Amino acid sequence: MAQLKKRDSWGSRLGIIMAVAGSAIGLGNFLRFPAKAASNGGGAFMIPYFISLLLLGIPLMWVEWTLGRYGGGFEHGTAPGIFHSLWKKNRFIKYFGVIGIFGPLVILIYYTYIESWTLAYSFFALTGKYAVLTEQASMQSFLRGFQGIENNQFFNGIGIAYSFFLITFITNICVIYYGIKGGIEKLCKIAMPILFIFGLFLVIRVMTLGTPDPARPSWNILNGFGFLWNADFSALLSAKVWLEAAGQIFFTLSVGIGVILTYASYLSKGDDVVLSGLTAAGTNEFAEIILGSSIIIPAAFVFFGPESMQSIAKSGVFNLGFVTMPLVLNKLPLAALFGFMWFFLLFLAGITSSVSLAQPAVAFLEDEFDISRKKAVGILAVVVFVLCQPAIFFLKNGVVDELDFWGGTFFLVLFATIEVILFAWIFGMEKAWDEIHKGADMTVPKIYKFIIKYITPLFLFFILGMWFWQEWLPIIFMKNVPAGDKSFVLATRAGLIIIFVILGILVKIAWRKKRLNQEKIR
Amino acid sequence: MKLSGWLFIIFSWGIILALIIFCFIKVFTKKELK
Repeated sequence: MAQLKKRDSWGSRLGIIMAVAGSAIGLGNFLRFPAKAASNGGGAFMIPYFISLLLLGIPLMWVEWTLGRYGGGFEHGTAPGIFHSLWKKNRFIKYFGVIGIFGPLVILIYYTYIESWTLAYSFFALTGKYAVLTEQASMQSFLRGFQGIENNQFFNGIGIAYSFFLITFITNICVIYYGIKGGIEKLCKIAMPILFIFGLFLVIRVMTLGTPDPARPSWNILNGFGFLWNADFSALLSAKVWLEAAGQIFFTLSVGIGVILTYASYLSKGDDVVLSGLTAAGTNEFAEIILGSSIIIPAAFVFFGPESMQSIAKSGVFNLGFVTMPLVLNKLPLAALFGFMWFFLLFLAGITSSVSLAQPAVAFLEDEFDISRKKAVGILAVVVFVLCQPAIFFLKNGVVDELDFWGGTFFLVLFATIEVILFAWIFGMEKAWDEIHKGADMTVPKIYKFIIKYITPLFLFFILGMWFWQEWLPIIFMKNVPAGDKSFVLATRAGLIIIFVILGILVKIAWRKKRLNQEKIR
Repeated sequence: MKLSGWLFIIFSWGIILALIIFCFIKVFTKKELK
C-alpha cells in the first residue's frame, strides 16, 4: 500500500494567526488606507468601511479559513482540490480553483520586486543616500533613477535595484524552503512583533511632532490628524466612497487570493477557525486603522500644509511611500534611523505577504503531484525568477500595472464570489455552519448564517458589476495606455493566458494521475 | 481637529482595540492546535 506523505503543519496557534495577519498586512495598510480615507470623507469613510468589514471582510475570512481546513482534511492545500472536495459531482469546478494558484503567483511576480525597493530604501536611509534631497521633484527623480526608468545623477542603470531584488528573492525562497513551521511561522513570529514595535515608534514620533514651524501655527499635528479624521458626511452620498471602502476592506484582508485557504489547510480538523480568523483580521485592522492612519498623512500635513495635502493624498501609493515619506523623515532629527524604521517596516510587511503568495503554488505541487517540498520550491524559484524579469525591465511600459489589475484585482473579486457561492449554496449553509463551528472557541452570531448566504454574495456581485462597468472596462480596452505601451500590455496578457492554461493542464494531469492510481489500487 | 474627527478616531480605535484585546485574551486562554 502506498505510504501517505505527512503534510506540513503549524507549530502553534499564534503562529498561524501571525502568518495570516502577516499575509494581510502589506503596503496597503500604511499607504493605501490613509490616502483613501483622507480623500473619501475622512472620518465618515469609516462608516462604509466598518459596514464592509462586517458584511464582506469578516464573513469571507471565516469562509476561507473553514474551506482551507476542510480541504486540508482531504490532503488538498489549494483551491482546485478544495473546490473538488466541496462539489465532487462537478468535473469542472476544479478548473475554477486554478484562480487560487494563478492569482497569488501573478501577484508574487511583481510584489517581490516592489518589496525589494523597501529593502533598498531602508539601506539608503541608513547610509544617507537620499538625505540631502528636500524637494518632491528631486525625490521623484531619485525613485525613477533607482527603478531604471531614467539615468540621472543618482543612479546609472538598474543594477542596484536588481541587486536588492536578488537579495529579496533569495530570502523569500529560503523562508519557503524551510516549510510552514520551520520557515513561514518562524519568520512571522519574529517579523510581526518587530513590525508593530517599529510602527508604534513611528506613531509616537509623529504624535510628538507638535508644530514644527512656529510661523505656521495651523500646520500642527492635531490638524494633521484632523485632516484624516474630520468627517465630511456629504461624502456618504457618493457611491464611489462606498465602493472605495468595500475595495479597501476586500484588499486589506487578503481574501479572494487563495492564500488563507492554503494556510488554513495545514490545520487539523478540530482546530478552531472562528477565533483565529477573527484575531488575524483584528490584527490587520490594528495595523491599518491605528498605525496606518497615524503615520504618513498627519506627518505630511505638518510639513507640507493643508493646500498640498489633497494632491499628496491622491498622488498614489508609491509616491506617498517612496517620495513624500522620505521627504518628511528627512526633516526630522535622527532622520536616518526613522527612515530605516519606516522602510524596514514596509519590508517586513512585504516579506510576510510574499512568502504567503508563494505557498499556494508550492502546496499545489506537493499535494497534487506528491513531490517533495524541496523540489517544489526549486521549481517555483526557477519559474518565478523567469517571470519576474518582464516586471523588472518593463516597469515603465505598464507591465506591473497590468499584472496588478488581473492578478491583484480582477481575479480576486471573481474568486471570492465563486468561493462564497460554493460554500453557502453548493456545499449548503447548514453543513457550512457546522463546518465553521468544528472545534470553535467562540460561536459566530447567528445573523452571519443569513449574511454569508445572501448579503456577502450580493455585495460581491454588486461591487464586481460596478467595478466592471465603471473602472475595469476602460482598463480591459486599454483606454489610458499610451500607444507605445500597448504591445507590452498585450504581451503581458498573452503571458497570463499561457500561465493560466498551463496551470489548468497541470490540474488535469494531476487528477488523471490520481484516477489511474486509484484504479490500480482497486 | 473638529469634534467629528475626535468622535471618529475614538470610535474606530476603540472598536479595534477592544476587538484585538478580546481576541488575544481568548486565544491565550483557549486550547492550542491539535
